[in-house]
Amino acid sequence: MEFIFSGFLKGLSLLFSGDAEVYSIVKLSLAVSVFATAVSVVIGVPLGGLIAIKKFPLKKIVISLVNTGMGLPPVVVGLLAMLFLSRNGPLGFLGWLYTPAGMVLAQVIIATPVITGLSLSAMQSLDRKFYLQMLTLGAGQWQALWVCLREVKLSILAAVIAGFGSVISEVGAVMIVGGNIRHQTRVLTTATVMETHMGNFDSAIALGLILLGLTFLINVALTFIQQQKARAE
Amino acid sequence: MIKLRNLDFRLHSGFALNIDSLDVGEGEVFAVIGPNGAGKTTLLNILALLQEAKPGALEIAGRNALAPSDRTELRRAMSYLFSRPYLVNDTVYNNVALPLKFRGERDAGRTAEMLEIFKIAHLRDRNANQLSQGERHRVSLARAFVTRPRLVLLDEPFSSLDARVKETIIRDLGGITRAAKTTVVLVTQDQEEALALADVIAVLKEGRLLQRGGPQEIFSRPASKEVADFVGVETILSGEVTAKSDNLCSVLAGGGTLEVVSACDIGDKVLVCVRPEAVAVSRAPEANSVRNHFRGRIISAEPWRLEYRLAIDCGFNLIAAVTKQSLDNMGLKPGDEVYASFKATAAHLIRR
Repeated sequence: MEFIFSGFLKGLSLLFSGDAEVYSIVKLSLAVSVFATAVSVVIGVPLGGLIAIKKFPLKKIVISLVNTGMGLPPVVVGLLAMLFLSRNGPLGFLGWLYTPAGMVLAQVIIATPVITGLSLSAMQSLDRKFYLQMLTLGAGQWQALWVCLREVKLSILAAVIAGFGSVISEVGAVMIVGGNIRHQTRVLTTATVMETHMGNFDSAIALGLILLGLTFLINVALTFIQQQKARAE
Repeated sequence: MIKLRNLDFRLHSGFALNIDSLDVGEGEVFAVIGPNGAGKTTLLNILALLQEAKPGALEIAGRNALAPSDRTELRRAMSYLFSRPYLVNDTVYNNVALPLKFRGERDAGRTAEMLEIFKIAHLRDRNANQLSQGERHRVSLARAFVTRPRLVLLDEPFSSLDARVKETIIRDLGGITRAAKTTVVLVTQDQEEALALADVIAVLKEGRLLQRGGPQEIFSRPASKEVADFVGVETILSGEVTAKSDNLCSVLAGGGTLEVVSACDIGDKVLVCVRPEAVAVSRAPEANSVRNHFRGRIISAEPWRLEYRLAIDCGFNLIAAVTKQSLDNMGLKPGDEVYASFKATAAHLIRR
């Protein structure tokens, strides 16, 4: 029990000691996950909206694929991303393997279906006639889609929270694609795994605590925005 | 304003909408009436370019709507009100201004004018979700007219409103469409709504346009039994024209002879249509110019909207509409013997 307690103490001291390495890991974790979430939002929210409001052949199959994507195993995503980004892979020319850019790509693949699926579900809760009504008022397709998305913004925000949650806590894909290289691609999750494997439980607990704290703070902020909007309505 | 030709449209459900020809003139208020499932909303959706259909021709506001390079542009010449007002979660002002925003216009004066006309200026800063049903309809109407559309499509816009609110909204709507000379296509099951607003009425049933004409023509001179049934002709008798003098036809129907002004000829098999409002009821026989008098017995007296419907056995069933006051003053009740009459001009013959 003592090592758990000392781990907590070390974690707190690391948090407040201004350790440069810890801060660089935190910074990279946040940068990669926030950027990946942002890219996924840009792709997933309109895509989910379009799938929900448009009528097209094989729509049910497409929705099933999106739902399947929501449960993509991160290690499989990491493996595929690594194969694609490896020197001989189709995206090898990008030179993204073992770089933060590659990690962002892997996380985008994980978060996009989550955000698409939840946005789709949010939009399906809106009567399709609402969208048609906007068209009849003279809205172009994108204008109508935008107004519809605004109507379900609370659910969209929930989709963003879920998308961010899926990548900030993800370890398999970033480990494979990033390689956990010190000062380059080491993030909180991969560092925690590494310290655990090395038997440095106090450091692992410390990093885990930081990860938990960060996730909590970001979710508190997003939930606060969401609830403020809910109250305003 | 609208020219539709050779529409043969089928939904996945198997429902088919077949209209050979439909014309709506500029500035006309055109009502399409018909029972549920007649295809009224489908027709509006086709006119609003929301439903993929391939009619022989569709012209809206002088433009070919079948090959629009930009459907949005064509839709911007019109407004379409669904039966349920779909308002955005925003203030009343922003809801009314929304169509202008879609067009990249900012005309605060016009928005304020619409708020005034539709009597919602006092609600301008209130969220649309906090409005009553009647207020939501008013916001929806103001939003539909803010862009000065040339064509407005209304899909049972007052169906969920109580009678008092409906009456005031219809009055205001009639005022603005007449003043702006807006072309309106109104779809409704409510014949009173159609009568209050329409210049021309079309009857649609099971995807077919049964009759088109002025309100008087549709309600007094239905072209078929189906139309007669729908527009409230409650006495319909099969008969045959046995004599004719000038335009006055003698028709053997219901075990008696009825006299009806009609262009039918001797020997024509006909349906005699008599609206309940055309039938007068008295306690004693009356000497007057009315051609059709019958002695009968009241079978039933049922309340119907603000009136009563009397079913009178005159050898055939004749339905008469009387006010509650008349019913009370005359003390009419089932079993009573009465005299019923209607003018030869008040009945209508349909060739079978």
